[in-house]
Amino acid sequence: MNIPTFIIKNALRNKRRAVLSVLSVAASLFLLVTLLVALRELTSPPEGLGAALRVAVRNKISITNPLPARQRPIIEHISGVEAVTPFTWFGGKYQNEEGMTFAQFALDAKMMRRLFVDLKMTDAEWQAFTDEKTAAIIGKVTADKYKFKAGDRITLDSTVYPGALQFKIAGIYHGTADDRNMFFHQDYLDDSIGIPGQVGMWWLKVKTIDDMPGVIAAVNKAFANTSAEVRAESERAFQLGFISMWGNIKVLISSICTVVVFTLVLVSASTMSMAIRERFRELAILKAIGFQRRELFTLILAESFGLTVAGGLLGIGGAYALFTFGDISKMTHGIFIAFEVTPKIMGTAALVAASLGIIASIAPSIAVARMSVVNGLKTLD
Amino acid sequence: MTAKGNIVTIRNLSKIYRQGEINVTALDNVSLDIAAGEFLTLMGPSGSGKSTLLHIIAGIDRPTSGECQVQNIDVTQLDESQLADWRNQNVGFVFQTFNLIPVLTAQENVELPLLLMKLSSEQRRRRVAAALELVGLADRARHLPRQLSGGQEQRAAIARALVTDPALIVADEPTGNLDSHSAQEVLGVLQTLSRNAGKTVIMVTHDPKAAAFGSRSIHLEKGELTA
Repeated sequence: MNIPTFIIKNALRNKRRAVLSVLSVAASLFLLVTLLVALRELTSPPEGLGAALRVAVRNKISITNPLPARQRPIIEHISGVEAVTPFTWFGGKYQNEEGMTFAQFALDAKMMRRLFVDLKMTDAEWQAFTDEKTAAIIGKVTADKYKFKAGDRITLDSTVYPGALQFKIAGIYHGTADDRNMFFHQDYLDDSIGIPGQVGMWWLKVKTIDDMPGVIAAVNKAFANTSAEVRAESERAFQLGFISMWGNIKVLISSICTVVVFTLVLVSASTMSMAIRERFRELAILKAIGFQRRELFTLILAESFGLTVAGGLLGIGGAYALFTFGDISKMTHGIFIAFEVTPKIMGTAALVAASLGIIASIAPSIAVARMSVVNGLKTLD
Repeated sequence: MTAKGNIVTIRNLSKIYRQGEINVTALDNVSLDIAAGEFLTLMGPSGSGKSTLLHIIAGIDRPTSGECQVQNIDVTQLDESQLADWRNQNVGFVFQTFNLIPVLTAQENVELPLLLMKLSSEQRRRRVAAALELVGLADRARHLPRQLSGGQEQRAAIARALVTDPALIVADEPTGNLDSHSAQEVLGVLQTLSRNAGKTVIMVTHDPKAAAFGSRSIHLEKGELTA
């Protein structure tokens, strides 16, 4: 026998409690990792390839307020602007589904390929999309979900405009940060049930990254003091602003994370205190036969650390396996399309597990250090 | 200074416990010499101070005043860390309730004090085997405490006490939880350790029959030596 064997035998002497302790830590750390990943996904949206060159222009009052289509030529003439497209929310429901299960946007199909360079389709699909007014393209995630294929016709009932529109699927795209959306022609919307002369917002592409600040300033200035003042911002700023509409979700999730960790500290400390209290007499014997305070502290710390780290590995590993190999889109009903357990998040959770082990061992170690051999021997006598 | 031939020299030893507002005298100015190789039994009624005296000699309790030299070392002057090392190398403990670690086998329990010494696993294995052989428990080496009888558990505890080859073995009512047959076996082992291995054994007991195994018996009453 050696010291590590002794520690393992001690840790496993009450197998049910050890297993339950490990599982409680595992479950809590699984929850912590899930919350941290959710927080990251919500506050750091994935960026597409061309995001650095894209500018979003929306109504200054609110994103739900439309913009006049007449703004387009003014924007196109601003120095540094390479391409402009309208971007209008359609809000269509598919068949008898209760709510909207994927987003649809009307835009300028000819400009789209220049703006959204990360969107991948074959040349034939691009051609079919731009050639036909009723054509639409759909992301692979949604196409797979509904088993759509090129050539299919689908009808969407708008929750924004009065009536429904039928679309012919021209292509299935992939490669964007969110392959769930559907895009179709703004002209088709305007000419059927839309409101001609109004668009939802504008997306622009600047020629170089150096043009970005100037273009943003120029667009904002161009429509200042008009009936439709705009707010132009980089794609990243736009995404973060969009997220802020969720409310202070970061504070909410951070608070839940804090509660999880605090509860975990209490549970672990209580478990270790109980385990050590039951063994006070044995620890007194160890002291009597020559074990010193530092050696007893090492025994308690190693046991506590072992239990929390085992739970941590199980919880973090479980979260990693589930979110890496599982279909997160299906699990969250499309709320999240990516749920990446990053090394930083795993490191943070592992650090929490290790810290728990240390913190949980402090109180019992102090109690054992203060215990005299004689008093310890009287325990449970 | 310890007198020649004495392993323990106690002079004017007192121990006073404070219980609230009351001072309780456990030992009152005790002076005692114990010769090397002696099998000394400490007798007396409950609360007479015999266990307290044993604990001070073994270095697990401290006196209020007085001197307690064991092998020329005044154990009352050692700090916690020094005392722990000293106990590991010089004292073997045997308790009434055996106090074996339940999750360790007999041989692992015996090996525990050796984990603190710089010995190879092979050296430890040999020492453990020798100690278990000495107490007649070699065939139960791999048994857990719950698989042993009371007498066997106590013999395993004695093996643990002597595995570091200490000069002094202290036993606090080692037969208190045993039937008469097992008690005879355990007392026989302690007697053999004193007579044949030259160990100094100090044993606290209430039982005159157990005390008869010792080479000398002293009595305490209200913290004072009476005989």
